[in-house]
Amino acid sequence: MNARTRIVSGILAAALLAAFVVIPASGQLLDKLKQVDKAIDKGKKVLKAVETVRGAFGDFSEEEEFYIGRSVAALILGRYKALNDSALNRYVNQVGNAVALFSDRPEIYAGWHFQVLDSEEVNALAAPGGMIFVTKGLIRRCRDEESLALVLAHEVGHVASRHGLQSIKKANLTKAFTSIGLGAVRKYGPAELAQVTSAFEGVLGDIVETLIERGYDRKFEYEADASAVLTGCRTGYDPTGITRFLATMVGDGSSAAGKGWFKTHPIPEKRIAEVNSDIAGLKPVPAIEAVRTKRFASAAASLY
Amino acid sequence: MKISKGTVLAVLALAALCLAAASDGLVVKIQITQLRTTPQFFGQASAALKAGDRLTQIAESGAWVQVRTASGLTGWVHKSAIEVPRFALTASAGGAKTAATASEAALAGKGFGPQVEDNYKAKHAEADFAAVDRMLLLKIPPAELQAFLAKGKLGQGGGR
Repeated sequence: MNARTRIVSGILAAALLAAFVVIPASGQLLDKLKQVDKAIDKGKKVLKAVETVRGAFGDFSEEEEFYIGRSVAALILGRYKALNDSALNRYVNQVGNAVALFSDRPEIYAGWHFQVLDSEEVNALAAPGGMIFVTKGLIRRCRDEESLALVLAHEVGHVASRHGLQSIKKANLTKAFTSIGLGAVRKYGPAELAQVTSAFEGVLGDIVETLIERGYDRKFEYEADASAVLTGCRTGYDPTGITRFLATMVGDGSSAAGKGWFKTHPIPEKRIAEVNSDIAGLKPVPAIEAVRTKRFASAAASLY
Repeated sequence: MKISKGTVLAVLALAALCLAAASDGLVVKIQITQLRTTPQFFGQASAALKAGDRLTQIAESGAWVQVRTASGLTGWVHKSAIEVPRFALTASAGGAKTAATASEAALAGKGFGPQVEDNYKAKHAEADFAAVDRMLLLKIPPAELQAFLAKGKLGQGGGR
């Protein structure tokens, strides 16, 4: 239960107690009933407040988050082509699921899923609900499993903290919750459905623009880096995998610069400095293992 | 002295809300999960749980909660798979209040779900849902993930 609901429930409980506990079996019943009516009026006001309780990004249910994520993923896969390489995709899913298991959200509505994108861009994106994308251009810059794992853990961190849903603008959130309504009816009628779908389009627009064009609020990126370091360590990965990867982005003059993570993320130098201080606070941390570097090289060989 | 029907209904709704707020009831919020005999992912599974299943909390250990199912089975579930039912109240035209959890409303087809997706899909050819469905087909079974971790000397630091 979220804090707001708890507070509202508490107020209601107090109103009821105030109304009933003091009712004596005497001639003062009428007065007491008036008090009850007053308490109920107060209760009705509170109920009204509860009706609008779904107002914040955190009020989407796990299932709604998944359906928002499916459409965000569909829009991403409309722009970037999925790489059809089943061995590589399986390996990326193994690494991704390994770090997700040690994240703050190991269980998610329909499980964690990872997909390699057939793009030279250096990019990784996460749709709400646990559908994560990484380009082959990014994987090519990783030299070991640790780097890939930490990049995926960064994306898992965005999903675990629902950063995608937090990029929905207030007006579109309000429109979403107002049009969805709260009654448990079976299906939407045509007019209602048109309204809800229009709200859905607004929500998707905000998220996709953030993921692909504008980037998250910078503080979310540093938060996702810190979360990647922690999750990586819990899993058993050397967290400097992320700094080894970020170092390849420093002073980049290639055609990849200006796109993907270069465009949507803080400058790599600043991220490296922040990550180093995160790692310093966690020492001792796991060390790199040759067996992992070897299996990474074998899985990524198809990209060269 | 007459107490109106609306008053009675309002009192009942308030009482129901307070009772629900005071219970230890939990609900499964993800599609499928397992009731496990020990508080760990690769522990033995004793039953499958699905979204909307009601559970009662018995104890807590770190990120794990010991629960009892409606059919009386006990076991452990991870916190990320469950939630305290959330309230979604609404007023009907007659002024009566009905209470349903957000999860129940979602199960009843409300909110952003399959019906809204189908309607969106029909108007947006630029969104590739077939590719999403292909992506979701790939699932790493727990035994495969466990072997992957072991071979890579991972998951030995205790984790969660």
